[in-house]
Amino acid sequence: MFKIPLSGILLGASKVPTKLFVPSIGLHVSAPMKLKEIHANKVGGKLIIEGAFVPSPRKDHLIPNNSECCSLCNLGLNVKHTDVLILSQFVRPDGCMMPQRITGLCKTQQKRMSKLVSMAHKAGLMCSLAPANSKKDTTKRKLWKKYNTYFDESTIKVYESHFKKIKENVILDYVKSRNQEIN
Amino acid sequence: MSQLGRVKQWNTFARCWHLFDAAWQNPLECAPSIEKYLKGLNKPIYHPLVDCGDHVVVINSKQIAFPGEEWRRRVYFHHTGYSGGATWTPAWELHDRDPTMIFRKAVYHHMKGNLFRRVVMERLHIYSDSNVPEEVIENITNQIPPLRSIPKTLGSYSKEEIEKYPKIIDYPEDFILSKN
Ligand SMILES: [Zn+2]
Repeated sequence: MFKIPLSGILLGASKVPTKLFVPSIGLHVSAPMKLKEIHANKVGGKLIIEGAFVPSPRKDHLIPNNSECCSLCNLGLNVKHTDVLILSQFVRPDGCMMPQRITGLCKTQQKRMSKLVSMAHKAGLMCSLAPANSKKDTTKRKLWKKYNTYFDESTIKVYESHFKKIKENVILDYVKSRNQEIN
Repeated sequence: MSQLGRVKQWNTFARCWHLFDAAWQNPLECAPSIEKYLKGLNKPIYHPLVDCGDHVVVINSKQIAFPGEEWRRRVYFHHTGYSGGATWTPAWELHDRDPTMIFRKAVYHHMKGNLFRRVVMERLHIYSDSNVPEEVIENITNQIPPLRSIPKTLGSYSKEEIEKYPKIIDYPEDFILSKN
């Protein structure tokens, strides 16, 4: 909000009474930064809906990431579409891919993961994570979809902008090291 | 002659029966390995004019797998001989009509066309599922190793196994967990 004309505002603020600049405390009713779960309970004839704070179910088995890059680049895994135990971490209970702001992956890995998730769904490997009205039994699907299919991961396109950045970084590192040698 | 050498000789001159499970296998990939057993290329006495091939029993041919869009893109051509008698059938449509046809065609077209081809093909027994007649099962002495591993579905893992698997990402702090 206060970006550039801060000094001007401060000058003006010295003339008005200080009470106007008390920060609005009553705006946030609940603590915003916590994992929540919505409960709907029926007590008598009333329906009570409340958001309860819960600890993260993944806390105990989480792999710590101390590097600058995202968690998948840090591990350096070659994920295949048959690795359903890894792919199921990136989807919601109905099987759809979670967006980048929730997964926290970089753009390249996010695109690659979403392709792998759709491959796993098409191959019928993650049928337990699907909407209730979907065809969970692959043999009851229509036309060619009822037959077994596997996929080749090398068909996933990797965008050049990703490599461009890596190349630039390599050149910059090289220039830096040369400068240090000269000095 | 040693005991092992005697058994080796029996195996060479006898007609063995091999089992092959076609579930999640690409028929075009496993045609070469099946041809090897059908013609007897693995035997030291092999010669094109020597009838030394083995029998191969293929089961679960309905569960063969193709990569990507191959089920739609692969077409099988047939011509009746009359004008306008050409037909192109997609692989999935042919598989609907006869679940053993794609596998048989894959092996047949992989082999070199000569007068022995149809004789060799007579030793290939394909079954769409695992219901194989008794008189065929009792002959089988060997299993051909599968080329592809069968992928495990998420439903085949137990709930505890999924929970205890190392997690790569955690939920963000203001995320709302949905039940079920
Ligand atoms: Zn990354």
